[in-house]
Amino acid sequence: MIQVNNLSFSYTKQPFISGMSFSVSHGEIFGFLGPSGAGKSTLQKILIGMITAYQGSAMVNGVECKKRTKDFYEDIGVDFEFSTMYEKLTAKENLQFFSSLYEKKSRSIEELLEMVGLDRDGDKRVSDYSKGMKSRLNFIKALLHDPLLLCLDEPTSGLDPTNSRMMKDMILAEKAKGKTILLTTHNMQDAAELCDRVAFIVGGKICALDSPHSLIMSKGAAAVTYTWLENGEHSANCPIDRISSDERLKGLISENRLQSIHSGEPTLNDIFMDITGRTLV
Amino acid sequence: MRLRNLFLLDMRFQAKYGFYFLYVALTVIYVVILLALPQSWREKAAAILIFSDPASMGLFFMGAIVLLEKSQHTPCAFAVSPVRAGEYMLAKIASLSAISLVVAALLALTAGIAHLHMVLFGTMLSSVLFTLLGMMVATKIVSLNQFILWTVPIEILAFIPAILHLWGISPAVLKNYPANLCMDMISGASVSFLGLFCTVILIGVLFMAVRKCVIKMWQEAGGIKL
Repeated sequence: MIQVNNLSFSYTKQPFISGMSFSVSHGEIFGFLGPSGAGKSTLQKILIGMITAYQGSAMVNGVECKKRTKDFYEDIGVDFEFSTMYEKLTAKENLQFFSSLYEKKSRSIEELLEMVGLDRDGDKRVSDYSKGMKSRLNFIKALLHDPLLLCLDEPTSGLDPTNSRMMKDMILAEKAKGKTILLTTHNMQDAAELCDRVAFIVGGKICALDSPHSLIMSKGAAAVTYTWLENGEHSANCPIDRISSDERLKGLISENRLQSIHSGEPTLNDIFMDITGRTLV
Repeated sequence: MRLRNLFLLDMRFQAKYGFYFLYVALTVIYVVILLALPQSWREKAAAILIFSDPASMGLFFMGAIVLLEKSQHTPCAFAVSPVRAGEYMLAKIASLSAISLVVAALLALTAGIAHLHMVLFGTMLSSVLFTLLGMMVATKIVSLNQFILWTVPIEILAFIPAILHLWGISPAVLKNYPANLCMDMISGASVSFLGLFCTVILIGVLFMAVRKCVIKMWQEAGGIKL
């Protein structure tokens, strides 16, 4: 679906994105993760044809992005982080208008509104919507023309846990239908849960690219942390695959002296910090 | 079909923001003013009123329309949709010209200007020209103050020669100047083929230039101050 080879781009004389290469298969959820200013949004703008002055190659659905025509957008749905609706029109009026811009038959507006829990608010003006409601409305706007590729920028931003769960389920449902999804996010938990593969982007370069599971496993297996009392409280860690050789742990168990024992594994966030030396801000 | 939907959206947008209400009120005021004037003054007064308001409303209102759209980030939505820049422009030109033509017709009929078809044709040409100029400026700016500042030179270059031309104060070299030609038509006078040709060419060149500006605006997801 997406083939990027040796992609470079710069706003100034300094390179902003340099030498990026990756591919995304049909039906895959691919995540771009990185701190603000890392180049995630710029990369997404290149892939949706909004920035055309790049070097290298960026092919989406068989089309070189810099040579795209307007028909390119018949198969692409973009959910920006901010609302792109006419504020004085109702949600239904907005969705009817934007769906009328495509050649393809629109998905049912009522059904989409119901899916995101806005069926009772369809006749409200968008200006009366909360941030979370606008976010959900913006998401279904991207689905109106049933695109093959969905580009989602922070889709769960501003949502409460219930709506965030609903949004993630909808994203997974679109993947199940065979849609390819590009996800740009700061949220490591969402990325780990949704993405088949993620790319860590820092300073305009891809620092790591793999499935969240492989990245987590690359740091090592899960570990146990245990505590015991011996002139005060002490704690120690032991990799879970070497637990039988930890004599101290075995001794504490046999003497029933353990205060606590917890198993844990590194999160995607730990891996990101480990690889890039940065946190996601 | 897409053009029709864009046109209808623009009319709905203009209605929601009170453009039609404003023009109903202005038309009533203009009609009252015209009826209050002596019969011999009405034709020229109506020509000035038509040229300086309904025919040129695109210059002023495009700033408000495009700035409101920018503040709601709808240019981003158009940038990633199949809508062509030309379709977006044509819809805006047609929707604003519709108001211009209705108001111009009412004022011309009130003033008793002969050759109504010529008045409407002149209004149409002026409306297209001014809307394109307004759109060009609106795509470049981020605040209403900037828009007002940038439209002043256009107003000076368009209105002063045209109004002087209506009173016969105009050098021969400006005979085919598009603003003067539009004023001639709005006052019901016939115009030369050369003047008409120059105006149509100017519209064509402006259309292509504004198309580039719109594409650039869509590619820039910049902020906006109102």
